Amino acid sequence: MELHKFGIRFRISNAPAKTLQEFIPVFHGWIQRQALPGHLLVDVHDYSHVPNGPGILLVAHEANLNIGEPERSLVYIRKQPATLTETLQAARAAAKLLTDEQGVKFATEQFEIFVNDRLVSDGVAGLIAEATAGQVTHQSGDARERLTFVVKSPL
Amino acid sequence: MTWKEKLGTQVPAELGKEIDIYEMQIELRKLGKIDEKLFAETRLRRGAYGQRYDNAQRFDGFQTQHLKYPTSLTKGPDTAWDAPGMQRIKIPFGGVTPEQLEVLADIAEEYADNILHVTTRQDFQLHFVHIEDTPDIMRRLAAVGITTRESCGNSVRNITACPIAGVCRTEAFDVTPYAKALAYFLLGHPDTQDFGRKFKIAFSGCECEACGLVYMHDMGALAQVKDGRRGFKLFVGGGLGAVPYQAKVFADFVPVEELFPVTQAMARVFARLGEKQNRARARIKFLIDKLGVPEFQRLVAEERKILPVDSRWTSYLAEAAAFQETPVKPGGQLTGSQPSDFEAWLETNVYRQRQAGYATVTISCPLGDITATQSRQLADLARKFCGGNVRTTVEQNFVFRWVSETDLPELYRGLQAIGLHEYGAGTILDLTACPGTDTCKLGIAASRGLARELRTRLAGKFFTLDAAVKGLRIKMSGCFNSCGQHHIADIGFYGNSRTIGNRKVPHFQVLLGGQWHNNAGSYGLAIGSVPAKNVPAVVDRITERFVRDRQGNETFQTFIARIGKAESRKLIEDLMNVPAYEQAPEFYRDWGDPREFAMGDIGMGECAGAVVSALQFELGAAERLNFEAQLAHEAGDFAKADELAYGSMLQAARGLVHEQWLDVPTDPATVVAEFKTRFAALFQPALATYLFRRHENAPGTSTGESAHRLIEEAQLFIEGAHTCGDKLLQQKTAALKK
Repeated sequence: MELHKFGIRFRISNAPAKTLQEFIPVFHGWIQRQALPGHLLVDVHDYSHVPNGPGILLVAHEANLNIGEPERSLVYIRKQPATLTETLQAARAAAKLLTDEQGVKFATEQFEIFVNDRLVSDGVAGLIAEATAGQVTHQSGDARERLTFVVKSPL
Repeated sequence: MTWKEKLGTQVPAELGKEIDIYEMQIELRKLGKIDEKLFAETRLRRGAYGQRYDNAQRFDGFQTQHLKYPTSLTKGPDTAWDAPGMQRIKIPFGGVTPEQLEVLADIAEEYADNILHVTTRQDFQLHFVHIEDTPDIMRRLAAVGITTRESCGNSVRNITACPIAGVCRTEAFDVTPYAKALAYFLLGHPDTQDFGRKFKIAFSGCECEACGLVYMHDMGALAQVKDGRRGFKLFVGGGLGAVPYQAKVFADFVPVEELFPVTQAMARVFARLGEKQNRARARIKFLIDKLGVPEFQRLVAEERKILPVDSRWTSYLAEAAAFQETPVKPGGQLTGSQPSDFEAWLETNVYRQRQAGYATVTISCPLGDITATQSRQLADLARKFCGGNVRTTVEQNFVFRWVSETDLPELYRGLQAIGLHEYGAGTILDLTACPGTDTCKLGIAASRGLARELRTRLAGKFFTLDAAVKGLRIKMSGCFNSCGQHHIADIGFYGNSRTIGNRKVPHFQVLLGGQWHNNAGSYGLAIGSVPAKNVPAVVDRITERFVRDRQGNETFQTFIARIGKAESRKLIEDLMNVPAYEQAPEFYRDWGDPREFAMGDIGMGECAGAVVSALQFELGAAERLNFEAQLAHEAGDFAKADELAYGSMLQAARGLVHEQWLDVPTDPATVVAEFKTRFAALFQPALATYLFRRHENAPGTSTGESAHRLIEEAQLFIEGAHTCGDKLLQQKTAALKK
């Protein structure tokens, strides 16, 4: 069981402002400047041709970030060990960069956290509530999908 | 809990042990106890492959950045340990079940980038995978009957087969069970472990259709029935790559009973005589070219005579003859109301099976990609409509077989709901592209970027295209190595670059007139290189001319042959020019990449891996056993430590004997006796004594001290085996020079 394998999804509220492919040079710029502290940014990958797919993917050694569909979102998925608090901080830092540099706006009242590890299930809601100080609700759906929680808490 | 604990006995014992060993090899590499070159070939043979940036360099559009990965270790020659890499997953003949699709979806989500990529060899690939995660990926796959073993490296790669085998209207018989059985017979077989390069095999049911593309394979097997007996026409020495070769007929008819031993004999001849030093000439096509088919046939026949009989050669045959898939529903007829766009999909994506009332449906995947969620949804549809009879195709799609024709509209609606309902399978819309510069170290131009662009443009005008143009195939590779199979397309492209002024411009070489049909019956010819940004115009120009000047029902190949190479080149000549940077800077960028084009992060390909001899593998295994002995000693299990240390010496000794006797057995008495006879003069006597002493005097009780001493001695024995191996190599080289 590896408790660092969390993903965070922040919904973008002004989605039509850019096409997915317009984020490619944005992420290239991040790599050029190594703009995300604590991350070794490595590569950009275009999945815009895949319906409801990862869209535009930014690969870091520590995490994968992508801006995808269907509901345009920024998704941060941790790949290397970190606490949930650190993961949240990193995801928020990426969202802030997008807001500051590109004017991307995010839905501020709630976001999603999912567990990217099917070995983990017990005690996760409590852990998330503790790290976010928010109201945590389990999102039900296809049991084969990852365990996902909606967190009502400001970004 | 770990995946190893959770899955327990769901992972077959033998496979589980192999994965445990691989996991230990990763640990040993981290400790610096395995040579980099050896580890690289080890992980490649498990399908773990480097990606473009893991030489720790990334050209960022302005300069080459030296990426500072957290550790300075490497996981193979010039491959940064920490860089996320690719995991290839072998799917023999493309056969995949709903349960497997679900597990593939889970691992794509948890360890990769949420995408399952179907390759041009019916494999799957996951990208951006961390090597520490690969053992768990392998365990989870093994629990549902999938192995990644020998997906890469100098080994027998995934065995491909026609995706409509068994339901085809023109086949001699269903090749599926033979392809499957041969895949598992050769997997890990001792005779396939010492190749200088990869070996690709394909099966096809009929000669005139595209099917398995047997002419472009190292070995192709084409189903034949002679006097009521099943067999295969065997081909050898085909291959694409920089210089493509058409396979030659090895035998007009090999009965099914002889398929395995003949293949095994071929493998032995290839391992023995194939090039090992110069990997550019190490494929079997070069050996066949050098020896000629008659001499190769003679050598294989000689080898066949001395092969020890193996019951597996024929034990599967009764089951193979009786092999039959089970549909989930009775066959039916297409009736009732149909969804909009259904007609177009029906025309291009549905194949009427030879079994009345059933159809095979092709599910088009854009650039071979589907998401994890789509994979689960596809599994649900498969259970409902085709009873799990799913296959991947070399055109990077899926097929559902045994769909009742009555269900076609409902299946279409189901696919529509998950975004996999695109029409155009097997048409000009169904583009094939290798990964190119997106992830491949060898890529020069963005083949996927180009495919994405062409697909968008062609989809916009598909219904206005002439029927003859709709039926053309376009395939592209990021470099000349032909992973996108550009040689067998009507219109093929491969990436290269040209220098204009002081700048590099991405280009694609244009090839016309290749033949997908007739099992990749002929290869296209290059007519000139055009800047990447002009490729869409090239496609328009060529297809328009084809429609205008086509004579009767002339095929594209005949048309190109008729107008000739010079005229074909004239067609595109003006499009070969590159405008000055100041006039058109977009020409200096590749498709899908807004940065200025450069080749600053191109690297060495891992396709072949480094050539690591069978002896090196044996000695690597001996070292691992000795390390396990140390672990047992540390845990206080001295008897086990003693046994493992002794085993490590036997393994090393057997490796040496194997160099001279391919069929050396594993029993200790024979190994020691043969080692003594063959290597008394070459092996340092004091070190050899360690093995002889332990072999003759097994301790009644092992103490910490005695076990420790044996571990030390075993390590020295293994060192001695390395030295002896070097001497053997020198002797071989000297003999060759004479």
